[in-house]
Amino acid sequence: MTRVLVADDSETILLLLRTRLELAGYEVETAADGQEVTELMRGGEPGRLPDLLLLDAMMPRKSGIDALRELRAAGVDTPALIVSAHQDATDADAPTELEVSGYLTKPIDFDRLLASIAELTS
Amino acid sequence: MSPSLANRLRIGFAIGFAVLTAMAVIGVGRFIQQRQDFEDAIARSYQVEMAARVRLARGADVKPARSTVAAQAGRRQELRDQISSDTRDTALLVAAGLIAGLTGALLLFSGLIASMRRPLEELVEASERLAGGDRGARVEVGGLSETAALGAAFNEMADELEREASQRDQLDRLKDEFVLTASHELRSPLTSVQGFAELLMLERDSLTPKQVDTVEIILDNCRHLVRLLNDLLDLARSDAGRLAISPKPTELAPLIDDAVRTMRGQTDGASQTLTQQIEPGIPPVNVEPDRIRQILVNLLTNAHEYSPPGATIGVTARVVDADVEIAVTDDGPGIPESQLEHIFERFVRGDAGLTQRVGGTGLGLAISKSLVELHGGTIAVASTVGAGSTFSFRLPIPAAPGAQASR
Repeated sequence: MTRVLVADDSETILLLLRTRLELAGYEVETAADGQEVTELMRGGEPGRLPDLLLLDAMMPRKSGIDALRELRAAGVDTPALIVSAHQDATDADAPTELEVSGYLTKPIDFDRLLASIAELTS
Repeated sequence: MSPSLANRLRIGFAIGFAVLTAMAVIGVGRFIQQRQDFEDAIARSYQVEMAARVRLARGADVKPARSTVAAQAGRRQELRDQISSDTRDTALLVAAGLIAGLTGALLLFSGLIASMRRPLEELVEASERLAGGDRGARVEVGGLSETAALGAAFNEMADELEREASQRDQLDRLKDEFVLTASHELRSPLTSVQGFAELLMLERDSLTPKQVDTVEIILDNCRHLVRLLNDLLDLARSDAGRLAISPKPTELAPLIDDAVRTMRGQTDGASQTLTQQIEPGIPPVNVEPDRIRQILVNLLTNAHEYSPPGATIGVTARVVDADVEIAVTDDGPGIPESQLEHIFERFVRGDAGLTQRVGGTGLGLAISKSLVELHGGTIAVASTVGAGSTFSFRLPIPAAPGAQASR
């Protein structure tokens, strides 16, 4: 089963994302900030690691961008989608070397999100 | 303390008057004295002559008496010459006094004028600079006490203006920051509301029709809130000078097609006719396609929402001079003249917007204007009550279209 790691500092948003993604048939892990994301990725068993990261750009402690920067530096090449509250989130938020696969803005367009996830994990 | 203009004038007048009065008194006094002396001398001369003539008539001392009579005639002639020469001298003296007094007064006045002129010129110059937006414009305080007071008052006023302007700038910045932060912070809860409502709709089969309607209303309002947040964000960015566009050479026809297709569902729903007429051969323009589509959708949404069912809405595009002009025309109720001049201001909506089910945010035209101007274009409106409205905007055609044509 395809595993998605979702990070957002709002529990409600995490619940929403988990529900929608599980309905669509994905296995979902959640993290409350970038720190938890990097810990989960380091501590996870190989083979049980997420196939996709869905990270909020702005989170306390460690942002999604910073977490992704650390992971990329550690050689993690899991595809990542960035969710931003910016109306026009673009590559300006994250340098190209972070290899962001796509940007989504809040409120989340779930049709688009599910299509992106399907494409990136196929 | 600076010398006062009034004091200088007072001193000047006092000196002038003193000189003139003294000259006049001296002159007139001398003239009266001389005249008196002259008349006395003449009278004495006649008395002497009369006495000599009496002696002549008596025949006594004939010779000396004759010479006395002759001498007295000569004496009186001398006296007459003397008095006329004295009168001339006195007149000259008075005239000289007058001239001296007037010259002194003139010199004093020109000195005063000169001492006022420099500070006044400086004030005029500083006022013009201040009016032109130079908040640092000040004058040097000095000279007469009046001009010094004027200069000090001007500087105080300029200080106050500068304080107010910087407070206003700070308030503007705070407002922009607030709108940016608020529209940012509102997005997360809005994401939840919209997301969970959509989740409910995924299970619409297990909902009653009334529940489905209720969730539809929630979703409608979520979409409205998103539009409002996006519009507010655009305006705040525009105010803060942070609304940026990334223009690229763009064909307008597909953009117009796209916007018209987007609107077709809504106009069909209101039995409105939506037409488009794009002049062939319009050169590509340098624009950000999403922003032009946003402007078009704004204008088309207004035309749709403010026009009654059955109305006709048309989009035209053509080359006018060195611009491409895109116009959205409707045959709706039109806009009264009193509202036309404020139509591009934010939160200004036509009467229909207040009474009908118009879903706009009241910000669409303000944003459209900012966006058109950001592209170096202009936006305009023409409307006749009862006949309809036309909103049109012009985008400049790039100077060297040949480079595009070869693509």
